[in-house]
Amino acid sequence: MTLHSRRDARTDLLHGTLDMLILRTLQWGQQHGYAIGQTIRAQSSDVLQVEAGSLYPALQRLAQKGWVTAKWGQTEANQRAKFYRLTAEGKKQLLREESRWTELVNAIGRVMNPAAAPGGRSEE
Amino acid sequence: MSIVAWFKRFKRRRLDEEDLQEEIRAHLAIATKERIADGADPESARHAAVKDFGNVLLTREAARKVWTPWWLELLLDLRSDVRYAIRTLAKHPAFALTVIAVLTLGIGANAAVFTILKGIALSPIAGVDGSARLAVIYGETSGGRQIQVSYPEYQLLRDHDRAFTALFGSALAKVNLGRGRAARQIWAELVTGNYFASLGVRADSGRTILPSDEAAPGRPPIVVISHGLWRRDFEADPDIVGKTVEINNNQLTVVGVADPAFHGTTVVYDVEVFVPIMMGPQLGFSFGSREATPSAILSDRRAEVFFPQGFLRPGPTIGKAAAETEALWATLSRDRSSTDAGVRARVVPFWQMPSGAPSYVLPTLTVLIAMGLLVLAIACANIAGLVLVRGVSRRGEIAIRMALGASRTRIVRLLIVENLVLAIPGAFIGVLLADSGIPVLVGYAEWLAAPERVFFNIQVDGLVIGFAVLVACASALVFGFVPALQSSRVDLVSVINEDASPRGASRGRLRAGLVVAQVAVSVLLLVGAGLAGRSVDAARRVDPGFDANQVSGLAIDVRQNAYDEPRGRAFYRRLLNAALTESGVESATLAAHAPMAFLDTRETRVAIEGYEPRQGEDMAFMSNAVGPDYFRTLRITVMAGREFEDRDDETSAPVAVVNSTLATRFWGSAANALGKRIRMADGAWRTVVGVAADVKYSQVNEAPRPYFYLPFLQAYRGNMILHTRGAGPVDRLVERARATVEALDPDLPVLYARPMTEMTRGAFIIFDLGAAMLFVFGTVGMALAALGTYGLVSYSVKQSTHEIGIRMALGATGTAVVRHFLARGLRLGAVGAAIGVVAALGLTRLLGSVLFGVSATDGPSFARALAVVAGGVVVATLIPSWRAARINPLTALRHQ
Repeated sequence: MTLHSRRDARTDLLHGTLDMLILRTLQWGQQHGYAIGQTIRAQSSDVLQVEAGSLYPALQRLAQKGWVTAKWGQTEANQRAKFYRLTAEGKKQLLREESRWTELVNAIGRVMNPAAAPGGRSEE
Repeated sequence: MSIVAWFKRFKRRRLDEEDLQEEIRAHLAIATKERIADGADPESARHAAVKDFGNVLLTREAARKVWTPWWLELLLDLRSDVRYAIRTLAKHPAFALTVIAVLTLGIGANAAVFTILKGIALSPIAGVDGSARLAVIYGETSGGRQIQVSYPEYQLLRDHDRAFTALFGSALAKVNLGRGRAARQIWAELVTGNYFASLGVRADSGRTILPSDEAAPGRPPIVVISHGLWRRDFEADPDIVGKTVEINNNQLTVVGVADPAFHGTTVVYDVEVFVPIMMGPQLGFSFGSREATPSAILSDRRAEVFFPQGFLRPGPTIGKAAAETEALWATLSRDRSSTDAGVRARVVPFWQMPSGAPSYVLPTLTVLIAMGLLVLAIACANIAGLVLVRGVSRRGEIAIRMALGASRTRIVRLLIVENLVLAIPGAFIGVLLADSGIPVLVGYAEWLAAPERVFFNIQVDGLVIGFAVLVACASALVFGFVPALQSSRVDLVSVINEDASPRGASRGRLRAGLVVAQVAVSVLLLVGAGLAGRSVDAARRVDPGFDANQVSGLAIDVRQNAYDEPRGRAFYRRLLNAALTESGVESATLAAHAPMAFLDTRETRVAIEGYEPRQGEDMAFMSNAVGPDYFRTLRITVMAGREFEDRDDETSAPVAVVNSTLATRFWGSAANALGKRIRMADGAWRTVVGVAADVKYSQVNEAPRPYFYLPFLQAYRGNMILHTRGAGPVDRLVERARATVEALDPDLPVLYARPMTEMTRGAFIIFDLGAAMLFVFGTVGMALAALGTYGLVSYSVKQSTHEIGIRMALGATGTAVVRHFLARGLRLGAVGAAIGVVAALGLTRLLGSVLFGVSATDGPSFARALAVVAGGVVVATLIPSWRAARINPLTALRHQ
């Protein structure tokens, strides 16, 4: 139970990325925690496997910031689950994250491959 | 963040926790179902889902961290630490109770002193917010005498001094309430119209005195009475406003009752009535003015009325205010008479008000504060010793915690929390101790002051509790921190190898250091207590110049039964004659003032025939109006000439008796003074007919000063003291005097009647109270130090059981063992005593202001302190050593 109130910049970046992925997943409608993990996994062709140990704290964080709201409901299989939904503020945040991400990827791309034309690749 | 939000957050935390648990369960259920749908059997599907999920506990921990702010987490950690500490301490009640008891003594002593300090310096005036911030103006003559300000000067300052938000004034006066048998004397304040408004004191009923009440001398005849007087004398009459009370034979209309908390602005005095200053001359107060009409007294710039005071404007410091006031004063005093040219204005904080109680008490209080802190230091060293010893026996536990991954910070924190858990009860019980001790002290002071009513604004309140808690926490850090650091520096390997005997050099040094420190501080305390005790002895032994034994004192004020001057003179003559005819009375006399009554009486400006005062020389001296046989009755030596006789009355030539200091100062010797003449203010020249030996006029420790006496029939006063001397029991003398007055006029109240030895006890108040407290502190400190030394020595003896066993197995005798440990203890004691003596030599200088008749480096005091400490150390060492010597070598060797 030691105190870690400060996080270093590296984990901040990772947190930011996971947050963005979750927000993006919720763009098409409300989902419960398990489904969010599965969606990210499927869409990344099994490359990104979000662990529950990261997913749930991230959801708590997003809820605390007011970007998502949570509500208990029933799945199609009639299983009780907590569904997360994007808020208006969350949508704005998603847009901000997306453009930040694009910029970052472009910048990294220019560094790694100076010959390639700028802006050649956008997000998938 | 608001408190409410804190609580909401705290409450929501639990709900969030349950919610998350539910969510995780749902997650696992969905994952399991999905796997079953994919064809897995239920059992392995569930296992796979759980395995896939990862560490549930860690997840919950991580999620919890998101919604738990750092302060909440710290708080929760602390809560578990506190719980753990209480559990651990409950398992060692002897240790816990000892620490709490020792700390209670240390905190109690300091809380008591702090409570007094608070009442004297921090909030000296009850019922007035921020009264310590009041500033006071007084005049200072070139001779250094502090004088009050006249009313016209006050008006000018009030109207022009920009440093103060408002300047008010109040003159303390003793007045007669009622007439005849039921009359009594009470304290009054004659106040300016802005007095109540400036102080922010409200009326409990009716109104206060207002600026409009300060219009013209002698008007309006009104009075505001204190809440206490209203309850005691008027049975809390709800219709009191509008009724009249008789004060100094004047009918005054009660316009209001003051706030219950308010007891006037004169610290220690319980003021019961407040009268407009404009009524002062009407009630018979001349403020030293020679003017005859009431209106003239208030416009006389030589009258000394009061010390103007007020709150400073926000901004100016007291230094700036002083500069401004003095500049203003210089322009105002241009037209003052030449004798006053040397008077300068001074501005001081309230506690430095000339002749105010705080200025008397603070020097003693400073010493008490220092002593209190020393007692606390001993208590801390004492507890540090206990904690250290206990820390050793907890090495195993600490080693296990460290092995399990607890950080050193975490362990130190736990140990400190444990000490805080001990400190807080110590603080509260200490406050209770102070709370029950202070009424005893107040009762003693009230007894000393009787029959005057005194009021002390000293109660234990939130501030005192806060102070005690703060001191307790600070002590906990002090006594807990060093041993905690020691305990946390555990060598895992050695502990696990069961080598638990801590013969580490640093631990031994710390223990020795604690013994040395306690011995040193107790030497310091005992020297201080010894010096205070010797001061009291010296003060009691000092020759006051008169003999108070076998003398009675009885005070009357003939105005209380409406005597005018001619009738008063006749009454005094009859009283003296009647007193002398009582059996057992050798001599009887009258006097205006009793000597050594603690407070100075008013000084009168004097002219000496043929003597030209130097520029600014202070020619104002105290005086007394006394009857025939005064010097014989009080056994004051008449060095030359004669004392007053019956013939020295209002019809004969004006005469005076001067004291030896005055005679020597102006005429060289006592014999030379006879036949010379002096004059008071604008009065007639008086011939010196006698020279009396010096007396202690106000206090035991005063320096010789000029003083003179007038025949009481040539200086009529309405209030006098009757002294009678006789051989029999003094109480009978007192009763006879009372009977004499009653026989002459049954309607004249006796203000007090008691042995004269009781009248002079006020002069010893400061010495007595100071010495009593220093004695208590010294004793407590010594007892703590002895206990602490005993504890540490016996612990070190216990630790050396193995060594003793070997020594004895090798042929050492019990005596040799005792000698070994005694030598070790005495060596430490000697080092401590040496440090204590050096510190005492340096610090007792600060006692100078409260010591009397004894030097700060007084040999006997030091010797006595050293003897007591040496005895304490020997006993504290001898008992455990002697016990060690009786150890069976076999048992000792089997010890490990």
